[in-house]
Parts: sequence; structure tokens; C-alpha cells
Amino acid sequence: MRRLGPFRTIALVLLVAFIVVPISMPVIFSFSVYWQDILPEGFTLRWYAKFLAKPATSRSLGVSLMVATSAVLLNLLIAVPAGYAISRMKGRARALTTAVARVLPLVLPPVIVGTALLLAFSKPPLAFSGTIGMVIVAHTLLGFPFMIRNTLASFDTLDIDTLSEAAASLGANLWQRLRWVIVPNVLPGVLSGALLVFAISIGEFEVTSMVAGFEAQTLPLQLFQQIRNDMRIASAISAFLVYVSLICFLGMTWLGGHLRERRG
Amino acid sequence: MRLRWSEAILLLPLALFVLLFELYPILVMAVRSFLDARGVPTLDNYLEILRNPVYLTAIRNSLLFATAGALVGAVGGTFVGYLAPRLPPRLHRFLLSLYSLPLTLSGLVVAFAFIVLLGRNGVLNLMVQRLFGLPRDVYFDVYSWYGIVLVYAFFQIPLMTLTMAAMFENLDRSLVEAARNLGARPWQVWRHVIVPVLAPGFLAGLSIQFAGLLGAFGTVLALVGGAKNLLAIQIYYHTSESTYDLPQAAALSVVLIAIIASVLVLLNLVERRVRASGGG
Repeated sequence: MRRLGPFRTIALVLLVAFIVVPISMPVIFSFSVYWQDILPEGFTLRWYAKFLAKPATSRSLGVSLMVATSAVLLNLLIAVPAGYAISRMKGRARALTTAVARVLPLVLPPVIVGTALLLAFSKPPLAFSGTIGMVIVAHTLLGFPFMIRNTLASFDTLDIDTLSEAAASLGANLWQRLRWVIVPNVLPGVLSGALLVFAISIGEFEVTSMVAGFEAQTLPLQLFQQIRNDMRIASAISAFLVYVSLICFLGMTWLGGHLRERRG
Repeated sequence: MRLRWSEAILLLPLALFVLLFELYPILVMAVRSFLDARGVPTLDNYLEILRNPVYLTAIRNSLLFATAGALVGAVGGTFVGYLAPRLPPRLHRFLLSLYSLPLTLSGLVVAFAFIVLLGRNGVLNLMVQRLFGLPRDVYFDVYSWYGIVLVYAFFQIPLMTLTMAAMFENLDRSLVEAARNLGARPWQVWRHVIVPVLAPGFLAGLSIQFAGLLGAFGTVLALVGGAKNLLAIQIYYHTSESTYDLPQAAALSVVLIAIIASVLVLLNLVERRVRASGGG
């Protein structure tokens, strides 16, 4: 490897530490028996066991997985067709649609989305607030911009007309064209968007804390309580959330490499 | 090519979802902000914001916090974005991957991490105290405004890095070299070549940071509860049990949207001016 020189080496080490050190804190904490001084002491899996044994936290794990999966599925249902349609649009219509998709989440941060959902859906006949359904809707909303960006990028790199015509001229029917031409080309981008939505949903606290009632207690809501009550359980929950982020992130990196390879 | 009917139908799920769960709730919220608890039209919710010093302080704090956080993020992110393309390709890729990791990380996990690192008995605080023989009551307070800005930097710097790294990679090296060969001094190269190319992306990144920080409250709440008075925290508290007042929350939300929108418009105007004067 080329020599970096002292300035770049120091800068690089500090920059890597700035991300790696905080992320490793919950992980180290969750495996240590005791950590009051500079160095942690001992090794244990007790805090993970406690996290799984405690009804409130183990239940919230199930809720979180269910909510994140549903948010991903809903996003697929909404963003994949939309991404395809937008990729076929041209000129002003397309500029407008993408601008709305980009600017809306900026102007409407989670705290606003939460307040608005509460106000709109707290009275019959639309009394959804406090239900798991409301949390799923909120997470779907937050995942939208990312999912649409990813699917749109996939469809944009793909010249569907030319490819489809080529496949059709070789005698492929609609199903075969979908199966062998469109899906394999779009899948990595879509999956990568799905992982991103999943990771965001699993960690989401802000909107969830506003619209979730007692039945929709997700992991971050439990984490919020445990940071005050029991740092041990909090460390196990935090570490678990770090693992989910890392797995999703590695998946996205792998998919990204896959894409580059194919295009390059 | 014009969109065919069958293709327009594909936009329907998106349109329905946005209408029902985004635009309709916002509309309800805007209307409710002009009604009192019994549904009688009133401006009281807004007048209360002007009358009550707590709200005015919250707005001021939010603006200061968002400015500080956005600047820290912008400067830090620009530095990382500048450094990354100057590293060997593998390190370059690794650094940028690492800096996209915080985007998916829960704000509460980050709060937890920084409590362990920089809380009163935080690992870093203990290390610095031992190293320099400092007394126990000298430490970096993660629960102060500085601390909160530092914790948010963990999100803001990576966010800005992704924008700026792309900008620096696109910066035409040959243009910079041509300027140097023509005898331009380093500061002249920066002033006339590099800054005009980077400025639009920088300002766009800055607006995203600023807008995000104005609405942020999760990590603050985990660190200090309601002890820091921010507009987003006020809204949150008005939607939860203790100080439940939805019309007031609605009015505060409308004010927050208005502030964010004006900041975005303002930065957009600056961006256009820079683009125009950059001549590129």
C-alpha cells in the first residue's frame, strides 16, 4: 500500500475512530459483567438473556420485527410500481414528482408526521392511532423517500423498451421477459432499498413514540425506558440494534458491489 | 414519451398513500391549529406562541442548535469528503462505507453510546482525567448544549460526507491544474475554481442538515429528557400525556414547517446566486 504521510494517517485514524468507537460501546457494554472504570470487566451473556426473558422487552422484539417487515412489504407494494412509472416519465412531470418525493420528507420531519397522524387518526371513524397499524403506516412513510430513490435508480439504468423488444424478438413472452430480463436487473437495487427501510424501521423512535399505544411498544421505545431503568438491558437492546444495522449495511454493500460488477 | 394509462395506474398506490397518510393529516393539523378545544375558530394557539416566553425561547434555541449542528456537520463532512478521494481506492471506499453506517443507526443507540463514553463517569472522561490528573468535577458534559451538538455530529458529519465526497470526486482535477499552470495562487484556485464548483452541493447539504436538525428530538430526549427547550421537544410534550394539548401542538408544528420552509427557500436562493456568479 502507498505511504499516506503523517497528516493523512492521523486524520484517517481519528475519522475511523469517530464512527467505530461509539458503535462499539453498546456491544462491549452488553458482553461485560461490570463496567464502572475505564476498562470493562468479565464476559457474560446474562444481559441478552435478561432482554429475552423480560416479557416487555421480548414482546417488543416481536413487535419490531413485525412492524419492520410490514413496512418493507408495504413499501415494495407502493414504491416498485411507482419507481417503474416515474422512470418512464419525462420532462416536467418527472421533475415535479421527484422534487415532491425529495422535498416533502425534508419539510415534514418525524415530529410533524407524528403530530399530524395523531390529529388525523385519533377520533372515530378513523381512530387508528395507538395501534400497530398506525406504527406500520408511519414507518412506511419514513421509508418512502429511500425506497423510491433506490427503485427509481434501478429502473433508470435499465432500458426496458430495448431489452424487452430484444427478448420479445427472441420469442420470450411477457412472463419470461419479467422473469429473465426485468427482475434480475432491478432486484439488487430494490433489495438494497428494502434493507434500508428495514434498518430505519427497526431503529425508529421519534414518530413511534408519538403514535404507538401500549400494544405497539417497539424495541426503541423499550430502550428509551431502559436507559433510565437498567443500563444492562439497555446495552443488550442497543447492541442488538447495532447488529441489525450492520447486517443490513453489509447486505447493501454486497448488493452494491454486485451491481457495480455487472455494470462495469 | 407520454405516460400510458396502464402506467399511470402504477402511481396510484403511492398517490393514495401520500394523500391519505401525509397530505390529509397535515391538512387536518393546519385546520386544528386554528380551532380551540371545542372546535371554535380562534387565533389563540398562535397568539400564545408569541405571548409565552417558553415558546419563543424554544424557537430561538432550535434555530441556534440547528445552526451549530449544521455548521459542525458541514465543516466536518466537507473535510471527510475532501480527504476520502485522496486516499488509496480501498481506504477511500472503506471510509465512505463507514460514514454511511450512521444513517441507519437508531438515535437512541447513539445516545446510549455517548452516555457510556462521555457521561459523568464516561470512559473518555475518566481517561482524560487520569491522563492529566484533573479533578473529578472537570469533565466534558454530554448533557450540555455542546454535548448534544457533538452527539448529533455523529449523524450530521456522515450525512454531509456523502454529499461532499460526490462533489469532490466530480471536481475536475484538470481544471484545477490548468488554473495552477496559468499561474493562479492556491487561494485564487480555491476562490475562483474550487469553491464555485463545490458551493451548490455544499449549500444543498447545509439545507438538508438544517431542516433535519430543526425537527430532531429523539436523541435529545434520550439524553436530557425535557431539560433542553427545543421547538420539536415542545411539540412532542404537547402530544404526550403530561401536557396534552393537540391544538397547541398543531400550531407549533405549523410554525416549525414555516421555519423549515423559509430556511430551505433562503438557502435555495443563495445557491442560485452562487451558481449564477460562479459562471460554471
